[in-house]
Order: sequence, then structure tokens, then C-alpha cells
Amino acid sequence: MTPLIATVNYAEPWWVQIIKAIVIFAVGLQLIPLVLLAERKLLGRFQGRYGPNRVGPMGAMQPLADIIKLATKESFRPRTSVGVIFMVAPAISILTAVATLAIVPFGNTVDIFGTKVGLYGVDPSIGILYAFAFGGIAFYGLMLGGWSSGSKYSFLGAMRSAAQLISYEVSQGIALIGVIMMAGTLSLTGIVEAQADQGWFIVPQIVGFLVFLIAGFAETNRAPFDLPEADAELVGGYSTEYGGGGFTSYFFAEYLNVIVVSAITTTIFLGGWLLPFGWDTPGWAMPFVVIGKTLFLIFLFMWVRATLPRLRYDQLMTLGWKILLPIATINTLVTAVLVAT
Amino acid sequence: MTQLVFFIAAIGAIAGAIGVIALRNPFYGVLSLVGHLLCLAALFLLLRAEFLAASQVIVYAGGVMVLYVFVVAYVGGTEESLGASRGWLRVLTPIFAGVLTIELVIASLGSGLKAITTKGADISPTFGSPAEIGQALLTRFLFPFEVASLLLLVAAVGAVGLARRRDGYTVGSIPLKAGAIPSVPPKGTGTMAEAAGDKPMTGLSGGDS
Repeated sequence: MTPLIATVNYAEPWWVQIIKAIVIFAVGLQLIPLVLLAERKLLGRFQGRYGPNRVGPMGAMQPLADIIKLATKESFRPRTSVGVIFMVAPAISILTAVATLAIVPFGNTVDIFGTKVGLYGVDPSIGILYAFAFGGIAFYGLMLGGWSSGSKYSFLGAMRSAAQLISYEVSQGIALIGVIMMAGTLSLTGIVEAQADQGWFIVPQIVGFLVFLIAGFAETNRAPFDLPEADAELVGGYSTEYGGGGFTSYFFAEYLNVIVVSAITTTIFLGGWLLPFGWDTPGWAMPFVVIGKTLFLIFLFMWVRATLPRLRYDQLMTLGWKILLPIATINTLVTAVLVAT
Repeated sequence: MTQLVFFIAAIGAIAGAIGVIALRNPFYGVLSLVGHLLCLAALFLLLRAEFLAASQVIVYAGGVMVLYVFVVAYVGGTEESLGASRGWLRVLTPIFAGVLTIELVIASLGSGLKAITTKGADISPTFGSPAEIGQALLTRFLFPFEVASLLLLVAAVGAVGLARRRDGYTVGSIPLKAGAIPSVPPKGTGTMAEAAGDKPMTGLSGGDS
């Protein structure tokens, strides 16, 4: 039988795919509490305070305490909310975040006990477009959550997220065209392999990298672009009316999105599983290299959050449409000319 | 497996299409259109048209419908239903719909079903991949491709023309600064300053906010 959706370079038995899905899911999700704790500790350090240090040694059990607290909370919804959509919206957010995790390549094809396994969930021929497709659907998670809450704060937060998401997805997409032209493929593993020959794309595509990263901050609703949930003016944005499970889902999806964006940036611009100076990466080390680089980018996310103040809404739109988009377009044109000659 | 996915997606697509015209609340109408488009994308995947499926989701579900949702959520009230249609429309619509249905049934029964037991055309393994589509667009279909891009350009210019302010800009009414991001937007440039600016917010539904 031909593979249903993804064309992989070789046939993988069905049980390998199932095991891969479980492993990627498990590892990806274990990163979330880690990132959560690291963020709170680091934010504390950046702001000259201790951060969580009461639960467990050095506050290491804090995420567990948070999760227990959220899981045991009463689930309620406002009277003005729209029941079904209110329940489904957080699930859409999680679904899209987890689905995008599937295309992050943690390594090349390796031999595990004689079975050839690609260290990624799927490697579709549309590659990075898969991530953009789910990014487009992710909007509905936020939008429906905000709309169905029946609250003005939620609604305004959702509206901001709508405008922000579509504005920055344009720049993000165009920033990548340069890389795609240089690599000659959309597939993420193909892009990493191209970097083995041409060097990491962060050097020739530094402009694309910066635009992609800034747009990535905006896409994941992180500071300084966290307008959809600007606490000072919108209480909690689209997730204001959510408590317990719903809130956990949004929170979880937000952090998973940060991880996914960092991992994709790693893959596209930082050479994925490649080590610098032309060192060969052994097969078993590939996932660790990818996760290491990803954690470095996540640290950058936290650093930026602790450093920069939030933009105003119209500044956000000006930055997206009048600065990032022209820069990304010029970058694409220049790359096209250079690649063609 | 393939047939299961096909029937789920096909039923979803038809249900979504019916939902668009049957639901009274415009917001639910838009949502069911989104569901319809996503089911169509699943059908494209079954036809090995991965690139088309991705573009379908990115452009329609992630772009066009986002604007629909945006507008309907802002403008369309939840209780507001579409008004009753005019008398002659009520008569004409079923007639046209009926004629169209009969025509489609004749067309599909007459030709389409002959191929239902055959295997379908042979396709190369890379069929529907972005590389193949790019090849086809820039060689065989270059002229239609360029004409379509010209059409899009005209539409974009037209959209800017329609969206610009009616009273028109006068030269110098908007000071252009060299600085990257103006810290205070000029008055009346269609920003938040205009929407929420100096006046107290009145006219919003439930204007106590």
C-alpha cells in the first residue's frame, strides 16, 4: 500500500511509526515542565529575585505543584459562554501544537537494532508548509476560545491574536523562501542535509533568521508581542474565562509552541543535528544536539521576555507590515539573484 | 483505511456545505465553511495532492476565513439572523437549484461513473509534490500563471483603492518621520487612536465598558 499521507524515503513498518509517535510525544512533553521551571527561575534571576525555591530542592518540583493545582481546580464556565465551542477551543490549540512537533527532525535516518528509523515523526514533501498549515489552524483555537467565552476581555484578546497571527505569518513565510531557494527543497531533513554542504544557513541568511525569529516571538504570543494576553490591559486575554483544564491546555500549548518554533528555527537556520567545525555527529547524539540547540533558543526567548517592554498594538502592526515584510521581501529577491547566478 | 478517511472527509465536506446555508447564525455559518474547507484538504491529501492540501489550509482556512471570522465576530450579532428573503427570490431559488442539481446528476451519471471500477490514471511517485507543481507552473502553464498573478496584482491595488479614506489624504497631512516606528500615530489614520482615541467609547453594544 502506498503511504497515506507522507511520502517517506523508505518504507517504515507501522509499529516503528507508532513507537516514534509515542517517543516524540513523550520527549516533547517532558520538555514543557522543564522549560516552565527554567523560565520562572531565569525570570527571577533577570529581575534580581530568587524565583520559585520552596517546592523540592531548588524549587525543582514547582511545575509538578502547578500541575496538581490546575488539575484539581473546579471546571466552570461563564453563563454567557457558548458551551461546545468553549470546550473544544483549547483542544484545537493543543492539537495544532502537537501536530507541528511531528515534523521536527531530531536526526537523520539511523540504524536501531537493524531497523532503519528516521528520527522524526513525518517528513512530508511539503515540509515546512505543514507547519504553516497548522499555524493557520492554531488561530481558531485562540479565536474560538475568546469568542465563545462571552466576555469582552477575551474577545478583544482573541481579535488581537487574529490580527497578529495573520500579519506575522506572512513575514515568517517570506523570510523562509531564501532558505528554501538555497536548499532547493521544502523538506526539513533536506534543509539540514543542504546545510551540511553549504554551512549553516544562519550565516548567509542572517536577515531571514532575524525576521523569522521576531515573527516567531509574535506567532507564539510571547513578550514583547504578548498583546493577546497583555495582563495589564486585558486581564488574561483570550484565556481570561478559562480555569482548570482549559487554562492548562492554553498554557501548555503556548509553551509547546515556543519549543516547536525554537526547534524549527534550529533545524532551518542552525543546522539541525549538525555539529560546528565539520565534526561528524554520531547517530545517537543527533537528538541531543537538536534539543541542546533548541534549549539555547528557548533561553533566548526568555531573555527577550525579561528584557524588552511590550509593544503597543499599532506599533506591532507597523513593525509587522512596514518593516519586517519589506525586509523579508528584499532578502528573498537578493537571495534569488545570488542563487541564480 | 483510505476508504474510511475518504468517507469521513466526504461526509464532513457535505455537512459543512449544508451547514453554511442552513445555519442562521452567521458565525456558525463561517465555522462550518472552515470545516468544509478542512475536509476538502483531507480529500486532496487522499488524491496525493499534498501541496494543494497545504495551500488550501494556509490560504483558505488560515487566511481568507480568518478575515471572515474577524468580520462576522465584530459585526454579526449572535442573535441576529439573516432577514427574510423577498417573495420572488423564494420562488426562483429552488428552480435554479433544482435545474443545477439535475444537470450535475446527469453529468456524473453519464460520464463519471464509468470510471468507478477502474484503477485510475498512473501517477509518478512524486506526483503532486511542490517540485512537480513548480515545474508545471513555470513551463507548461507559464502564461496562465502570469496572467493570474497580474489579476491578483490588480485586485490588490483595487483593495488599497477601496480601503483608502474617502475624504482623501492631503499632501502633508501625515508627517512621515525618518524614525522606524512613530511613537504617537498621527490623528485620523485609521489606527486605534481613531477608534478609541480622545472620545469616550460610546455606541459599543453594552456601552458600559
